[in-house]
Amino acid sequence: MRLTQLLSEETIEVSLKQHKKESVIEELLVLAIKSGNINDRMKAFEDIMKREEMMSTGLEHGIAVPHAKTKAADDLTLSLGISKEGIDFDAADDKPSYLFFMLLAPEDAAGPNVKVLAEIARITKNKEFCRSLINASSPKEVLQLIDEAE
Amino acid sequence: MGPDGPIEKILLYVDSSEECITAAQYGISLAKSLNAELAAVYVVDVEVLSDLVKAKIFVKIEEMDYEQNLEEDGRRYLNYISELGSKKGINIDTYLVKGIVNKEVIKKIEELNVDLLIMGELDPIQSRTDIFHNEAEITFRKSNCSVLVVKDEERTERIYNQINDEK
Repeated sequence: MRLTQLLSEETIEVSLKQHKKESVIEELLVLAIKSGNINDRMKAFEDIMKREEMMSTGLEHGIAVPHAKTKAADDLTLSLGISKEGIDFDAADDKPSYLFFMLLAPEDAAGPNVKVLAEIARITKNKEFCRSLINASSPKEVLQLIDEAE
Repeated sequence: MGPDGPIEKILLYVDSSEECITAAQYGISLAKSLNAELAAVYVVDVEVLSDLVKAKIFVKIEEMDYEQNLEEDGRRYLNYISELGSKKGINIDTYLVKGIVNKEVIKKIEELNVDLLIMGELDPIQSRTDIFHNEAEITFRKSNCSVLVVKDEERTERIYNQINDEK
């Protein structure tokens, strides 16, 4: 499954306004809601936070992938936020996170859910691609970069 | 009467897609008309789960949880396909295995001495990475027996509905 099939200009923010973990998750959730697939904002937030409590989804090299299976999602929903300055997201390497891929999945969509997470893991291995994404100036440019990377 | 034609054993590739159900309907119709044996395999892709743990996207408990979800998914699909066969008097041997999808399917083809692998319509190739990362695509290319890719859902369903229900 391609990430560009799940993203749209409405669900991408190239300059996140929030600077704290919980607020960033809220901001990503607002983007996700624009997809029309989220039926319960509070429940979605709780399920994302529950997953974060297990272990932060702030990975290494500036990438964060907050995700959850939730009844609040009617369909697989991806939003993408970018912070030019970097945000403390309790990352595995203790460094700031710049790219935030938030994936919310219905509880019965394990297969597609796993495929999308694997695709995020795969494309973010390319550091040059990640740098280009961080520097992108519009959602349109982000979609174009992801399309090329896929 | 046992199998006696050029295609004696057919294997269905099951992967939690609508397309694999269409493939199953076609496979059942074909097995009936050729008097062939029919089996179905679903592979729980544990490789991708383990990759997600390595990438630190999943924690161990999540990996186990998702593995269970994928297993349940596979079982549900195999049971449904088995029922489709039963309705037409065709017995389908089902296999739920874990591993790398293309390798496990190929292993099953060898183990069961399969003559024909039947798959649902493949997703259109939209990027170069699909060729290397789409398991259905890889299985299609690496299969060591002939492969039939089923298209035209409506026609297939019509054929399935027309075949008689007796053994």
